[in-house]
Amino acid sequence: MYVPDIKLHNATTLEEAGGTLARYAPSVRLLAGGTDLLVDLKTGRATYDHLVSINRIETLRGLDENANELRIGALTTVTQLGSAPVVRERFSPLLDATSKMAAPQIRNVATVGGNIAAAVPCADLPPILTAMNASVALWLSGDERTVPLHDFFTGPRETILRDGELLTAALVPKPPPGFGATYARFGMREGNTIAVAAVAASLLLDSAGTVQDARIILGAVAPIPKMVKEAGDALIGQKADDDSFGAAADIAMKAAEPISDVRGSADFRRELVAVLTKRALTTARDRAKETL
Amino acid sequence: MAIPLTLSVNGEAYTVAAEPADTLLDVLRDKLRLTGTKKGCNVGDCGACTILVDGEAMNSCLLLASEMQGKSITTIEGLAKDGKLTPVQKAFVEEGGIQCGFCTPGMVMSATALLNTNPDPSDDEIKEALSGNMCRCTGYTGILRSVKRYKRHSGECTCKQEEPASKDAGKPKYDSVGVSIPRVDAADKVTGRATYTADVSLPNMLYGKILGSPIAHGRVKRIDTSKAEALPGVVLVITGADVTDTMYGVSPARYDEHVLAKEKVRHVGDEVAAVAAIDEKTAEKALTLIEVEYEELPAVFDPMTAIADGAPQLHDQYKNNVNTHVDHTFGDIEKGFAESHHVREETFTGNNVYQSPMEPHASVATWDNDGTLVLYSSTQVPHYVQYMMAHVLHIPLGKVRVIRPTVGGGFGGKAATSPLDLCAAILSQKTGRPVKMIYSREEMFHYGRGRHKQHMKFKLGVDRDGKIKAFKSEIHLDGGAYSSFGVATAYYAGSVVPTLYHFPAYKFDGYRMMTNKPACGAMRGHGVPQPRFAFECLLNMVADDLGIDPIEIRRRNAMTPNTLTVNEMDVGSCEFRATLDATCNKSSWNEKYGELPPGKGIGVGSGGFVSGAGYCIYRGQVQLSHEKPREHFQKRSIFPHANAIVKISEDGMAAVLLIGAAEIGQGSDTVLTQMCAESLGIPVSRMRIRSEDSDISPLDLGAYSSRVTLMAGHAVSRAAVDVVDKMKPYAAKLLDCQEEDVEARNGKMFINPKRDNPSRDRKGADNCCSDSAEAARCKGAAHDNPNRNRKGADTTIDDSRTIPWEEVARQYFNDNGPLVGTGCYKPPDGLGGDYKGSTVGTSPAYSFGTSVCELSVDLETGKVKVERFTDYHDCGTPINPQAVHGQVEGAIVMGASETIMEDVQFDEKGQILNPNLHGYLQMTIKDAPEIFSGIVDSYEPRGPFGAKEIGEGSTLPVLGAVAHAIANATGVWIKDLPITPEKILKGLKCVPGPGTMHER
Ligand SMILES: Cc1cc2nc3c(=O)[nH]c(=O)nc-3n(C[C@H](O)[C@H](O)[C@H](O)COP(=O)(O)OP(=O)(O)OC[C@H]3O[C@@H](n4cnc5c(N)ncnc54)[C@H](O)[C@@H]3O)c2cc1C
Ligand code: FES
Ligand code: FES
Repeated sequence: MYVPDIKLHNATTLEEAGGTLARYAPSVRLLAGGTDLLVDLKTGRATYDHLVSINRIETLRGLDENANELRIGALTTVTQLGSAPVVRERFSPLLDATSKMAAPQIRNVATVGGNIAAAVPCADLPPILTAMNASVALWLSGDERTVPLHDFFTGPRETILRDGELLTAALVPKPPPGFGATYARFGMREGNTIAVAAVAASLLLDSAGTVQDARIILGAVAPIPKMVKEAGDALIGQKADDDSFGAAADIAMKAAEPISDVRGSADFRRELVAVLTKRALTTARDRAKETL
Repeated sequence: MAIPLTLSVNGEAYTVAAEPADTLLDVLRDKLRLTGTKKGCNVGDCGACTILVDGEAMNSCLLLASEMQGKSITTIEGLAKDGKLTPVQKAFVEEGGIQCGFCTPGMVMSATALLNTNPDPSDDEIKEALSGNMCRCTGYTGILRSVKRYKRHSGECTCKQEEPASKDAGKPKYDSVGVSIPRVDAADKVTGRATYTADVSLPNMLYGKILGSPIAHGRVKRIDTSKAEALPGVVLVITGADVTDTMYGVSPARYDEHVLAKEKVRHVGDEVAAVAAIDEKTAEKALTLIEVEYEELPAVFDPMTAIADGAPQLHDQYKNNVNTHVDHTFGDIEKGFAESHHVREETFTGNNVYQSPMEPHASVATWDNDGTLVLYSSTQVPHYVQYMMAHVLHIPLGKVRVIRPTVGGGFGGKAATSPLDLCAAILSQKTGRPVKMIYSREEMFHYGRGRHKQHMKFKLGVDRDGKIKAFKSEIHLDGGAYSSFGVATAYYAGSVVPTLYHFPAYKFDGYRMMTNKPACGAMRGHGVPQPRFAFECLLNMVADDLGIDPIEIRRRNAMTPNTLTVNEMDVGSCEFRATLDATCNKSSWNEKYGELPPGKGIGVGSGGFVSGAGYCIYRGQVQLSHEKPREHFQKRSIFPHANAIVKISEDGMAAVLLIGAAEIGQGSDTVLTQMCAESLGIPVSRMRIRSEDSDISPLDLGAYSSRVTLMAGHAVSRAAVDVVDKMKPYAAKLLDCQEEDVEARNGKMFINPKRDNPSRDRKGADNCCSDSAEAARCKGAAHDNPNRNRKGADTTIDDSRTIPWEEVARQYFNDNGPLVGTGCYKPPDGLGGDYKGSTVGTSPAYSFGTSVCELSVDLETGKVKVERFTDYHDCGTPINPQAVHGQVEGAIVMGASETIMEDVQFDEKGQILNPNLHGYLQMTIKDAPEIFSGIVDSYEPRGPFGAKEIGEGSTLPVLGAVAHAIANATGVWIKDLPITPEKILKGLKCVPGPGTMHER
């Protein structure tokens, strides 16, 4: 239960970090909060020879809002995200995830970048960020590219990140009027537990209450945070009511690819997906209506 | 390679050499020796390692020390300034926020972080802030109360706040007994000063680790330790070939464990080799270099399969893997069923529950030059450890000194000699250096000794009025790979069921089976909670069948005082009915039961337990056990189970109580101090207790079977009375009166000629020593109730006729030298019947209790939220009501947690799937219900001051109450534990709908 002998590098710039990453690939990882990485290293689930601490790269910290979007620096902690006035006022669906995730001691350390880049299927931020149409900014050798978050994940603990590439920020577009989103999660207990199944949903309604756009993303029930496009599409043009939500929930449930483990069987998780989808859509609709 | 680090901790700058990969936790504990910060899991799950970094709470086990340079770190040691506790620390001390104390530093740090930014938090905000801190003892109730009330403790005044609105029946009759004083060890625990075994550090110390088997069943063909030995820093590697052939265990009839595997391994984690190295990390690495070749054998994991012919055999001596078979029939069972108006038969299944104390097991061994083994052990049973070390190492018991540092909870998981104790001693003996060994959280699960999973087939017959006519129980206990406590567990599963209700006829068929899993042992309520759960469920089903209210059916069958049960258990005091009535009223049962909407449920369960086992685990004398032929068993104790010495300082100002009773968080140091002070007639503030060292304190059998308050309490009071008796001639001379008229109280001695015996001192019940020769030795104590010369708190003292207590003590010292009193306690002779196994379940006294649980169930997801508990207990006289409530609150949360979420799960190869605190789920503060705990008026003539037990009995009503409430909310009885959301959803699919079942 010790972190094995590793070489720890301190980067103060993106260039330094990227360079070190590229040099030691593949046996190298970035160290942000370390809440995921150190557990993996201590339990022997992963071994690396090198770690590159990015905690001294100040440009990766903090939130920045412009007319179109909120930029969340990769090193922003979950606590900082959840307590920022801009998030509480204009991006409040994120709070559904920040408030339910882990416990204060973890949230004070865990970073947004780490939560995304770790690419753990049950991570709490990716589903709601995806529901809010977020992208991620990726930096490689001085160039930054922007990729929709739902294209970022390729498998459990696998992403499109290339050797030497860092995630610098998550970008969340400003919700338009008629937009509502939420994150519904099921854990086996009330405190400090990971999601067994989770659903993030967003709806864009017109003034008549008809669905213009919809997104449904499943957490913890597929190898990656899974966007069920058919479920969202089925809602477009429909009234946002229990019937249409029920139909979408059915599609979402069938699209889930859960595993059975100590927390519950695949069947149980599928049932949860249906319930959570309905609940998430209902909350999303209520929230959307408030903005109209 | 080590690098220099500069850290700012508690305002001081420290420069240390550390590895880049060292965590802050390890640097704080091992390099800075700030051991107040605890390691409970090492992976972020428990919060015991919580510290503040620039004011924010973080888990120091998940921070690299090298990343912390330039930040301001605060640990528990940095809170109190100039020796003054912070308000929240004070609140934890005085509001009952502390039991074993292992979670306390982390809790206090999390609370401090919250209050620094939010001085007026709501309950929900407090719960959120503490949701990453696990506590296994308090049920979080006292912790929540402490944080809520911290402002009350912010003044300079340390005076006690008023008692919470009188929860408890009866007025205190004494000065120190029946009073909720803060724990005597609370201040040490809240400041991080308390030293747990893992905090012990001796010069030149090595660190040990044990290699566990990766397979569930196999023969060890070859072990090559050469690579491990070659690793720099490794000092010694031992295997089965290097240890004695003497086997060990718990029950003398079934010693079946080797220190390290001699030939076979029988479960994943079974001990194969051990390493001593210069640090723990090196020892851990060395384990990976030991090469073991196994011949894998077929394994068996299910007790029902294990019993079948042709199943893989674990041990030659247990045919068909039957480790213990109990076959008990009392009364005419056939007639009972034949005469029954209604008979119902059901099967129930328990779960694999683990004690999961927050403090991992640890041992430090060293050998004195005279050949004495000195063993620091995180144990509940120092004496049995001493006995077992002597047995295995072939040395006299007198050559073993066991030191029990502060223990961070046990619940039965630390009630036996552990492989750490044995390996540390052997490694230390062979290397000539002290050796420290600590289990990781994962290793704790592999060592096991948790609750037996029981497969129960129950049949209950009742008459028209619901009165029990006959009860039949068939149980298969999944014992795991070794006996451990299992023989007793199998008997307990049957013997403590009839102490609650009158059974005219009872049959119990019990089989404890061997399977290729870690051995099961004794956990809180030893063997009884699962049968009790099943019985309470069945009784509620039968009540529903007959249309009788579930509480009413209990009243009709309830045990009554002074009864010999059908299996010859000797029940004395019994206020079971009072607990039923009080719980019924307090919970507004009659208005709620059957009246709640779907998804809301209320349920009831009852339970009770022994107040100390009637007999010692090994039946003979204290001697070298391997030299000893098995003695013929007689129905009496050969030696006293509890022994105490009270030593008065030469100036008469302090009394030191020496007793080997194990404080493991349950509060025994505090209640024993209170009883001692009461019997001495001095205030608690003049008392100290030394219970941690077998060289200092006389034998006590330890903290198991809820025995300490009753048994050690007697020994302590008797030792104190012995002191007072020695002082009386001197006091009489100074006061110029008769010796018999002298009374000691509140630090004074005075004349009290109108003294009379307390009216409730029932005759003949209190028995110190069973024969007169021994009675003479346990002098001053025989047949005396310790409170014999107490009249009650309203006695007025005539000031003109008093002298200071200390003055009398000094006079005694001047003439005689040391003023010392001794006392001891033996259970009464002749407990139990004359049938095989009749000793298990015997006790001087029995406790009773009833719980009502209220909860809600999300009918779409199956999720249960346990909302409220109302509990009343008959624990005899509460010595410290706050401590009683603390036990109840802890037991309710532990019990509710095991009912709905706890389960050690195995794969098809016998690997544990969840050996950690995120996979093995225990309730957090956000899951814990609101709890009302009450105590009914009761007095046990066989207990000191009328006291019985609370520690284990409090668990027993809980499981059944939760299961009943779930059934009430959903209309579905789930009969296998834990009652998970998944099982509830499945069950809901098979019934017409919630709410239908209880409609009458
Ligand atoms: C007790 C406990 C409970 C937890 N509960 C939850 C929970 O409820 N919900 C949840 O979602 N998670 C949970 N987690 C997981 C973890 O805390 C989060 O995923 C956290 O957000 C990870 O962030 P970090 O900064 O600690 O990541 P790190 O551990 O530092 O990094 C994680 C991974 O991401 C990579 N990485 C980090 N930053 C970047 C970057 N900028 N660019 C590229 N790669 C990067 C790292 O190299 C590493 O592979 C829990 C963890 C623990 C220990
Ligand atoms: S030891 Fe750090 S959280 Fe348990
Ligand atoms: S007091 Fe909390 S774990 Fe013991």
